[in-house]
Amino acid sequence: MHVDILFCSLLASFTSPESVAVAPLSFLWMLPLAAAIAVVYKATKFKSIAPLAFTKACLGPFASIIVFSIVVAAALYIITYFIT
Amino acid sequence: MNKGNEQSKPKTAFLFVVALSAWMIPGGGYYLLGEKKRATVVFAAIVLTFCIGIYVGSIGVIDPVGAVHWYLAQMLNSPLVAVLGYVSASGAYPVYGKPSEIGQIYTSISGLLNLLCIVNSVYMAYKLSAAKET
Repeated sequence: MHVDILFCSLLASFTSPESVAVAPLSFLWMLPLAAAIAVVYKATKFKSIAPLAFTKACLGPFASIIVFSIVVAAALYIITYFIT
Repeated sequence: MNKGNEQSKPKTAFLFVVALSAWMIPGGGYYLLGEKKRATVVFAAIVLTFCIGIYVGSIGVIDPVGAVHWYLAQMLNSPLVAVLGYVSASGAYPVYGKPSEIGQIYTSISGLLNLLCIVNSVYMAYKLSAAKET
């Protein structure tokens, strides 16, 4: 009975959107996506997947995605500052 | 000449089966090639990303009527996405603003990541069958 309720409420949670504020903190939604991109990209490149080596290898693209996003954001901010 | 064609036919069929299974289930192509760890990692990453997307934005982000281009990218996750598209096409699950944006980005990026895996698994299958021939 409890399992049914849990399962139904779990399914129901996929039918109504979560509330996401339009705030600077919402940029943190980028992190799980960057992690997924890094993991899948490295999974296609790695010859044999060993947990520790694979995790270490994923940190590279994960960090570079974040750093590059910050650089692009800063560049756009500077351009907007001078234009407007 | 004919012998070459006969040999290439099963290889093409094998590549097609790998591509199809990689599309049906993320990581399925790798599983078929015996790359079980790689298949598990890819499956977990793609399915989790897709689930985060539909959790944040609801199944309304899969919109074959109002957001066709996003839908095409979402369909790369699996043909099963069409079922969700069929359900949400009625317009019963409206979603706007930031949740819609995040949901569409997550579900579409996971689809594009699966496309990368489909292409990569077909390439691995091709290399495997070429190695067997020599």
